[in-house]
Amino acid sequence: MDPNRLHLNFDSSQQRLPVPNDRAYPTTPSTFPQPVLPPGQQQQGGGLHPQQQQQQYAQQQYAPQGYFAQNNQQYAPQYAGQQLDDRNAQYQPRSNTPGNDPNQGLAHQFSHQNLGGAARNAAYARGPSPGQRPRTAGSGGQQPSYDRYANAPPVPSPASAPVHEFQQAPERNPDRYGSNANSNQKKCSQLAADFFRDSVKRARERNQRQSELEQKLQDPQQNPARREQLWSTAGRKEAQYLRFLRTKDKPENYNTVKIIGKGAFGEVKLVQKKGDGKVYAMKSLIKTEMFKKDQLAHVRSERDILAESDSPWVVKLYTTFQDSYFLYMLMEFLPGGDLMTMLIKYEIFSEDITRFYIAEIVLAIDAVHKLGFIHRDIKPDNILLDRGGHVKLTDFGLSTGFHKLHDNNYYQQLLQGRSNRPRDRSSVAIDQINLTVSNRSQINDWRRSRRLMAYSTVGTPDYIAPEIFTGHGYTFDCDWWSLGTIMFECLVGWPPFCAEDSHDTYRKIVNWRQTLYFPDDITLGAEAENLIRSMVCNTENRLGRGGAQELKNHAFFRGVDFDSLRRIRAPFEPRLTSNIDTTYFPTDEIDQTDNATMLKAQAIQQGRTAPVEESPEMSLPFIGYTFKRFDNNFR
Amino acid sequence: MPEQQSGDHGDACGHTAKDGQTDVYTKTVGDTSEGGDAKPITRHACYSSISRATTDKTYSNARFRGGGSAKPPSQSKSPTASSPSGQINSPETLSQASQSSTSLAPKLSPLPNSPSLAQSIGVEDTSNMSGDEIIGSYHLPRPLPLWLNPQYAKHIVKGNFMTLSARPKTVEPGEWIAHQVVDHYRLLWNFVRVLHEKEEDGSTICNQTTCPRMSAGSNHSFTWLNSRREPVELPAYEYMTLMQRWISGKIDDDKMFPTDPSGISYAHNPSITTTPLSQLSNPGEPEWPGKRSGFPEKFIDVCQMIFRQMFRVYAHLYWAHFAEPFYHLNLEKQLNSCFSHFVLTATALDMLKPAELEPMQPLIDLWAANGTFPPESKAYEYANIKAGQRLLEMAGFPTQ
Repeated sequence: MDPNRLHLNFDSSQQRLPVPNDRAYPTTPSTFPQPVLPPGQQQQGGGLHPQQQQQQYAQQQYAPQGYFAQNNQQYAPQYAGQQLDDRNAQYQPRSNTPGNDPNQGLAHQFSHQNLGGAARNAAYARGPSPGQRPRTAGSGGQQPSYDRYANAPPVPSPASAPVHEFQQAPERNPDRYGSNANSNQKKCSQLAADFFRDSVKRARERNQRQSELEQKLQDPQQNPARREQLWSTAGRKEAQYLRFLRTKDKPENYNTVKIIGKGAFGEVKLVQKKGDGKVYAMKSLIKTEMFKKDQLAHVRSERDILAESDSPWVVKLYTTFQDSYFLYMLMEFLPGGDLMTMLIKYEIFSEDITRFYIAEIVLAIDAVHKLGFIHRDIKPDNILLDRGGHVKLTDFGLSTGFHKLHDNNYYQQLLQGRSNRPRDRSSVAIDQINLTVSNRSQINDWRRSRRLMAYSTVGTPDYIAPEIFTGHGYTFDCDWWSLGTIMFECLVGWPPFCAEDSHDTYRKIVNWRQTLYFPDDITLGAEAENLIRSMVCNTENRLGRGGAQELKNHAFFRGVDFDSLRRIRAPFEPRLTSNIDTTYFPTDEIDQTDNATMLKAQAIQQGRTAPVEESPEMSLPFIGYTFKRFDNNFR
Repeated sequence: MPEQQSGDHGDACGHTAKDGQTDVYTKTVGDTSEGGDAKPITRHACYSSISRATTDKTYSNARFRGGGSAKPPSQSKSPTASSPSGQINSPETLSQASQSSTSLAPKLSPLPNSPSLAQSIGVEDTSNMSGDEIIGSYHLPRPLPLWLNPQYAKHIVKGNFMTLSARPKTVEPGEWIAHQVVDHYRLLWNFVRVLHEKEEDGSTICNQTTCPRMSAGSNHSFTWLNSRREPVELPAYEYMTLMQRWISGKIDDDKMFPTDPSGISYAHNPSITTTPLSQLSNPGEPEWPGKRSGFPEKFIDVCQMIFRQMFRVYAHLYWAHFAEPFYHLNLEKQLNSCFSHFVLTATALDMLKPAELEPMQPLIDLWAANGTFPPESKAYEYANIKAGQRLLEMAGFPTQ
């Protein structure tokens, strides 16, 4: 139909040139299949240069997947792939089964593939881009490839006469098919791309595990019994994973212990897997709500970042699955509760304790940034404590890779409208300027109401940087603003722009120069106040803009050994009586009604379940949501 | 053994239709399946074969029915075979010869150069044939189909797909095959969905009019066997629907494809595993891939059948639907990548024999010649590289 389509599609042959590909996927061993072109790009976008395309590709299509995006990211970690390469390199000489050994093949390929691949690719791409030749469809008798060939200078002897050896390609015309076919086209294209992306990733990880195993087996100190054990354990883990991959997970596989969190879009439950009794936190999100509230991009980005990360600072996502009504995320359960609960309980922290948490959060935010994400919603509720009392970040619903999301408009509306929002907080009138130690009781009311706030749709804006909702663009450093406000709260007892309703909070944040106020009756160390002021300020002057190192070097952190931080004992360690102990969650404040079960029952009553057109995985917006991590249970 | 086989047969007929309805994919074809059920002959149809290839069917029986004792006498040529049968003889026998199955030998018609062909259809045996001659022996329509144009035989991924289908050394073989079956089935049905899903006016892309037979070009059409084991021609749409139900019935059957995480095992490795295999299973009992992981004895046969059926679907997609709709919908590269991965996997795991590749042989040749299939792969071994090189030349693509 449109020339772009044809043009771009042909243009992809240029993508096969080895050089740009190498540039785009520097950490990919050449033995692994690599995408030639993101399928979306074939159909969208005009005739970009390959490099531009790749950039676009990395940033838009697969930005959340570090594997494709690394090279284009400011914070890209380069080492992961190199490590892998190294391992492969070390591993190669050890393969001693020349015939059917895939890893031998890998080693073999490794040394030759680039050359061979280059030759092949060059062969394909040699000559002018087919995209540049006249359009063939209906262009008379000329054979497309022959035409192309004829223009190509370095090609060896022509082999055939320019007759119609092949059927003429018709002009592409997707419009001749109906809307269902075109929608299925998108699914098909997406699923095929996902399949290869996931499979390559899995194969790569599998080979890495295999070479780690080989390394252990090579150890001469290893006795035969131990070697056998290593081998069988490895094989069993792989098999369990393969079984896990081909089995559909469903909520019925888990018993609910308690509901530990509730929000507008769903709830978080402590669950135990039937069978093995393993404990997880299961977040379930109501599909229709996600649709209505336009949260799909958010869900997706959360799933992507969690799926991609393997950081101790980020809550681990084991698997995601879905049914007709819910998206489910099975995550690690962190028994220590969250920082919000801690702050509600203790009101303020000492500088030492604050130093510990803020330092850990610096590292956690830095880890997220290194994955290529901006969290954008750093707040005490999203800072969880593991069983050792160390920090992990969660709730990446608002996280964004590179595309700016649509909530700017939303914030703009909030800013322009009057305070006609429903009162999010309790009706306690708090003018932050007047807050002193003497009216702490009011603050306590506020503190109690903030949990309600945390569960509302809107969420609290207290920690959001002004540039996010003024709509002038923002970058990684918006997370450092949030950290500054959290540090303020830790030391002062309330967030700096705390106000009676969201609307006033927005106002205060935008006018932070006038409204940022350190209460007279609370003595802060000069360095602490300086650090807060260095983060809660305009983005041009914000500390951390040049990387987390700027923050780590701040005088407030003098003496902090960031490298060993996660290994030292935390100031507060949860005391737990069992692996399903929810002491640190305010479960008594949370309605324990299982909405998921209720909703489902309602739906069945109303007969809405009957005509599910196809499996829930197949509804377009949720394609690719399902995810399965290897080390679910296995590591 | 024969009992078991017939049991399997009945099981396939009886259960698949029902079980299939609980499957993910059934919904897309729900309406048709009812239509299919309404037809008495298709209700019990659960076995099919290349209609025209008598010997191939014999072969199928041998492989899947445990000796073919129940071979129906009427399994001869189907109506479709009649028209071009004279022409297509040679490529067919060419590939059948490569099965090197002695039991088949008497049934094969003598070939001019069968002694050498019998070993393989690979390069050496066709060394005295030119690329053109080999292509000629395929009796392809002229001009050649669009999908044989190297320009349109490209992929959405590049690199060595073997890394995706090679069994990890520690993984028990049956477990790996199960994984591959399920993956490929899910992948293939993404394409079938495009053909099968109804538009608002109730129309489908592949229907009784466009594809009255489950064909792969004019030379091949596949028949279902009905309850009396007579080959029946069905519209491709119905054939694929029945097949989908049969396959999903198998895949979703926890006895055929166990999912209990505790039932797993690992690959036996004589150099590391000190426990001899004989101690892991009772001596004298039959061994089969997947046994130690809880897969049943007929598991491999079922998987081979599934792969064969999926291959037929792919063949139909290429021969009947490559341009319409896949090329028009910009899906041909996706199709190419999925099918080439399928062929690599199926051949590497011995799930498809060289003879069974016949309807798609020229594309396999092309992919061997253009580097899609790495030289160490079985798919490459089964290809006629000269034919593939010739196709590249015809399109003006330099050969290596």
